[in-house]
Amino acid sequence: MTYYEVVTTTVTLYAILSVSLNIVVGYTGQPHLGQAAFFGLGAYVAAALAVRHGVSFWLCLPASVATGLVAGLVLGAISLRLREDFLAVTTIGLNFVAIVFFEKIPFFGGSMGIYAIPLPSLAGHQFTPLDFALAAIALLIVTIAISAYVDSTWFGVSLRAIKDDELAAASVGAPVARYKIAAFALSTSIAGLAGALYAFFMSVVTPDSFGFTESVVILAMLMLGGVGTIRGAVVGAAILGAMPELFRFISNYRLLTFGAILVLILRFQPQGLLGDDSAVVLALRQAITRLRTTRHSAHPDTLIRHGPA
Amino acid sequence: MRTKRVRAGAVVAVAAALVGCTAAVAIAAPTVHRASQISIGFFAPESGFAAADGQSAYDAAKLAVNQINAAGGVHGQMLKLVNYDDGSDVKQAVSIATKLVTQDHVTAVVSGSYSDQTLAAAPIFQRYQTPMLAAYAVNPGIPAAGSYIFQQDYAGNVEGAAGAYTLVKMLHATKIGVVSIDNDFGHALVAGFKAEVAKLGASIVETDFNQFGEKTFTPVLQRDMGKGANGYYMVQYAAEAQQYMTDWNQLGLKKPLVGTEGVDSTLQFVKPVGKAADGLIFTTPFNRDGANAVGKKFISTFAKAYGHLPDMVGATTYDSFLELKTALLKGTSAEAIQASIAATRDFNGAAGTTLRYTSGRSAVKPVDLEIFRNGQVHHYAYIRNLSIITP
Amino acid sequence: MFVSSLIEGIVIGSLYALMALGSSLVYGLLRILDIANVAGLVLAAYVGQDVFSGTHSLPLALLAGIGSASTLGFLLQRLLYRSLLGRSPIVPLIASVGVFIAFEELFRLIFGPYELNFPASVGLPSFHLGGNLVTGVELLIVLVGCTVLVATWAFIRFTRVGLTWRAVAQDRETSAAMGIRTSLVMGVVFVIGYGLAAVAGVLLAINYNSITPTMGDIPAYKVLAIIVLGGLGSPLGTIAASMLIGLSETFVAAYWGFVLPRDSIAFILLIVVLLLRPQGLIPGEPVRA
Repeated sequence: MTYYEVVTTTVTLYAILSVSLNIVVGYTGQPHLGQAAFFGLGAYVAAALAVRHGVSFWLCLPASVATGLVAGLVLGAISLRLREDFLAVTTIGLNFVAIVFFEKIPFFGGSMGIYAIPLPSLAGHQFTPLDFALAAIALLIVTIAISAYVDSTWFGVSLRAIKDDELAAASVGAPVARYKIAAFALSTSIAGLAGALYAFFMSVVTPDSFGFTESVVILAMLMLGGVGTIRGAVVGAAILGAMPELFRFISNYRLLTFGAILVLILRFQPQGLLGDDSAVVLALRQAITRLRTTRHSAHPDTLIRHGPA
Repeated sequence: MRTKRVRAGAVVAVAAALVGCTAAVAIAAPTVHRASQISIGFFAPESGFAAADGQSAYDAAKLAVNQINAAGGVHGQMLKLVNYDDGSDVKQAVSIATKLVTQDHVTAVVSGSYSDQTLAAAPIFQRYQTPMLAAYAVNPGIPAAGSYIFQQDYAGNVEGAAGAYTLVKMLHATKIGVVSIDNDFGHALVAGFKAEVAKLGASIVETDFNQFGEKTFTPVLQRDMGKGANGYYMVQYAAEAQQYMTDWNQLGLKKPLVGTEGVDSTLQFVKPVGKAADGLIFTTPFNRDGANAVGKKFISTFAKAYGHLPDMVGATTYDSFLELKTALLKGTSAEAIQASIAATRDFNGAAGTTLRYTSGRSAVKPVDLEIFRNGQVHHYAYIRNLSIITP
Repeated sequence: MFVSSLIEGIVIGSLYALMALGSSLVYGLLRILDIANVAGLVLAAYVGQDVFSGTHSLPLALLAGIGSASTLGFLLQRLLYRSLLGRSPIVPLIASVGVFIAFEELFRLIFGPYELNFPASVGLPSFHLGGNLVTGVELLIVLVGCTVLVATWAFIRFTRVGLTWRAVAQDRETSAAMGIRTSLVMGVVFVIGYGLAAVAGVLLAINYNSITPTMGDIPAYKVLAIIVLGGLGSPLGTIAASMLIGLSETFVAAYWGFVLPRDSIAFILLIVVLLLRPQGLIPGEPVRA
């Protein structure tokens, strides 16, 4: 049971990161290959506060969110000045710059990392692996709710408009700059929060857990599942997150398979497995429509009269 | 309409994810547990950037288990090696540790992995009261995780202090340039080095920490030269050390140079660097020349099985298994194993003699000094001062 | 110290320029950030080393390396990138990351995790300059780097084929409408781009006498920074950016030691420059020399 709980926690954390990344990449259409840096920032802040200053888990959470938020505002502001591919490379660079922070600033423990982070407790009861899994799932539900809510508001519509055509969006009055920054900030705050939970779950934070490869993994999950959709983010995380466990018997080929999946999915189904016009979703929609039509008509001729389904 | 669909989709997604997770994990079935076997857990970075070391450690682990079983196992019970690759990923290490204790139900564990991964895994083994021996990871936080966690290789600061003693007392350097890899291994050694240098009354002109993959050491070496360094301390792994030695020779430096166990690798360092490393003295637990019977057997059987000479990572892993076997012979419960290891006295391993363990479960062993002569590694001296080698 | 750092920085800058030239050509033409180009670099190093240890002929090894890398480049554009042209730029970037990671693992599985050596001598003498020892290989790197860059620049600027490339870079659809076979151009650019990477790979392997499966990590990200820093993929921009990064890294190390991880210097420079000049160091029309 415990093993499943541990794996669930890890996968759920990835899902949270993936859904949060979707806000920037999927909704707003901005390239972002540096989400791991914000994840790490949240983790390090929580770890440093907990180990150096005895701050409790529950207070570390808002601290990590705040840090992620501020950092995201900065990134958002930077993104305004840069064209798309330059922004992509800049976000890649963020991973390396973040590691500099983690290794060189004494507050963050240097390259030794921070260890012996104490277990959180709620009303005197220390967190067990099950508690961590439940906390992660709760956080995922909150993240999904936020993301879904954003998608349903004028803010979300504007983000999609920015993604489609920034100039057109601006010309119809969407405050592009402000909304772009807000999207980044929202995404990175969630990543920071996930980082805090991660730090307590692992009880150890080290600089190399938050490098460029991690950012690629998160983005790959999103793209595999279906960029632009929450369901895609979660399913992508579930598949790629569980992969190391599934593939333990061929662990020697795990990374190779990972790279191959990335290439194949982008080549043949770049909208992802569950993206809006992916093969799977289209097939599902067709099936549903066919079901609905057969339910509503008594005679096959009515199908023809009403035109193609 | 759209919101409802979005929400429904989200709920379905979460449900699917949870189902998917459970299914995936259920497929990754635990190992079968036979009563006549003693399961020993093992993990190492067999893929990823540290694959060379991980492979070395794994090879040594297999060799040790095969030899132990060939000699009759533990009172007739065979050892079963339960091996996992952590790919140098801390998250992997945590799930591996959890799997080893809750699904594979191992009796004890040897970590053939780096400090990061071992550090994350140790608290889990401690929580489940499973004895763990760290073969070569030197972060002091590891044995601090609890009473069941032991550090088999000597602590970083011990090795650093030994390096300082060598450079200052034996090679008479007074102003030293330090260039070290930027990780916990490097920092632990440099900390020990600095403390001992201060005690011996010498000084350090400059300390530099470089990243993995660094290939250009000329600027920092020149800087140290400019500051009048008459001795150099190099804390690097094989790849970076090779580049350091290349630049060292190109600059024509002839001052005393002391290195560390990171260069103790036949394939990765001795072969490519060859004579260019002549004169380099390094601290290591693994003495090849004056090897005791255990060491000699290890070197020859490893070379026969794998076609190349073993290195420090392999030797320390091998020793961990031998120490475990000694403990298991006295009792296979967790408490018995833990007590046995803690009571170890003068254990002769391939990688030197473990005199004893401190109360903090860190090994006390003499530091071996090896020197490069004519492209070969030879024994140079031993440092046995207890003041230096006790962590 | 200043002079020796200058020389060291120029050598390193030339090496970076050579490493980045292939990718920057591809970027200049197709706006594709292609990290897989560095996989070609490493492939050439491995293949070259293999041929060299069998034949002891450096020219043969180099040819083999170029052949293998160019083939890889051709296959990648034919099978992968061509169908990704219409998509947003990060799609080919992530795809190339997937290729890069897959190849790193293939190298480890096929050639083993241990370091291989490439003890070739290039027939050029070492000499002392400004307190530094410049080895034959380093001299060759600078020479080859300059030659290749100048040749590429001239090719793009003065030949008809170069004109074709510039046309495709500016506007692929119109070029196709004008009768330019864009798929052919794309194929040729990738073959040449990966061939250049191969030269860099072999020289890199000889210079450091070291080939490992992960040797491409540091060059890959640095190449990205160089391309962006340099502007729009012009050879001039590439060399300016490479030199800037090479010199910065060397001077920082010489005067302050390894205060910053080497990779981060390239990216910090990138962020600073982009904040001041969002178009990069040498902006302007694509692939204009």
